[in-house]
Amino acid sequence: MNRSSETRSEMRDDPRRKCLREIRDLRSRAGRGLWAMALFLVVSLGAFSDFDFLPPLPPSWMKILGPGPPVWLINSFLVLYSFSALLLILARMMQGSETFRGFGHVGYLTGFFIFYHFSGAMEENFWAIFTAGVTILGLESYHQWVRFAEAIRKAEETLIRLEKN
Amino acid sequence: MFKRTCTRAIIPVALTMTGFVAVCCFLLYSVIKADITESTIRYSVDLADTIIKSARYTMLKDDRETLQRIIDNIGEQQNIRHVRIFNKKGLIMFSADPAENNRLVDKSAAGCLGCHEGPEPLSLSRDAMEKARQFQNADGEGVLAITAPIYNEPSCISSACHFHGEDQQMLGILDIGLSRSPLDRTLSLLGWRMLGFSFMILILSVGGVAALLTKSVFEPIRILDDHAQRAADGQLERDLPELEGDLGRIAKNHRRMAEQLRQARSESANPDQKIQP
Repeated sequence: MNRSSETRSEMRDDPRRKCLREIRDLRSRAGRGLWAMALFLVVSLGAFSDFDFLPPLPPSWMKILGPGPPVWLINSFLVLYSFSALLLILARMMQGSETFRGFGHVGYLTGFFIFYHFSGAMEENFWAIFTAGVTILGLESYHQWVRFAEAIRKAEETLIRLEKN
Repeated sequence: MFKRTCTRAIIPVALTMTGFVAVCCFLLYSVIKADITESTIRYSVDLADTIIKSARYTMLKDDRETLQRIIDNIGEQQNIRHVRIFNKKGLIMFSADPAENNRLVDKSAAGCLGCHEGPEPLSLSRDAMEKARQFQNADGEGVLAITAPIYNEPSCISSACHFHGEDQQMLGILDIGLSRSPLDRTLSLLGWRMLGFSFMILILSVGGVAALLTKSVFEPIRILDDHAQRAADGQLERDLPELEGDLGRIAKNHRRMAEQLRQARSESANPDQKIQP
């Protein structure tokens, strides 16, 4: 008897729990942008010292890789990448899409750091990649935050309604 | 703060424009810096070659006094930090600094490490850009130094006054160091000008977008919202001002709704009024 009353209470609590779980899930998704930004800041910290804490690549590897690409080519790709990334994030904001590409952007930006490192032009171009990263990930985080803040507000309203009933 | 439509619309625009303009500025500055530095190095290499050509005759005549005078005069120039000629063994034969004469070049000095860091020194017959090295001197000042080889030529071999063997490819090296201060000043000025220009562009574009959105969208929305709030509170006396475009149509419908509500209220307040002829 006691057991069945507990089950009934759980069933009544189930939508409430589901709602709480949803709010928790939405909150964690809203914070993904900040995790991507934190990861980028860690990579940037390493790039600021031109990855001098890492051991140099063996000469045989360097020979296989060949000389680094020309700096003007990396610069052109960085401008093209920043432009298209910002445009795509703005388009996703207009569509109200939930897609998050923050970690992918951290990967691309790390790639730019590596290319500048091997071309010996990190010192001159560090701030360009850093600003591009902060802008792209900032916009991505802002989009995620605004998008999920609205969903969290609705879920919280539902929870209040459920608790009243 | 972020709940307002105005803020939500302007923040992404401001962030995107500021970030993209800053990225382009950093890259443009880096490209211009590389171009100006390269041009300065090429100019300095030409200067070193000019000095060698000017001094060649005195070397042929073995006129050491005149050569020393030439080196002294060059060394007196405002932005020249050092000028010296040393032989293949590294013995300084002529220098603008009298204390350096007849001394061996210190290969472990900051200015020499660029070529002498490895087991074998780098070849001098390199591209003009590779003849340059940049370092900080003992006073902490940035120096751009050029090392130009003085090659053996047929006129040197056949010269009557002194003799160099045909197998001797290089007779000595001219080492001239120029202060980087004028170059750094130009780059710093360029950086500040670009910063000012970018700031003005950002103020104009972000400010322009914000002002236009406020004037055409957010302010009329605020008026409509204000009117709707008053109507909801039962204050139907105040008329809605004229608005333009799509929002003007919404305002017109709003006015009609308010008028209908006012009529309905007056009818419900005076039910006899309706049946009066």
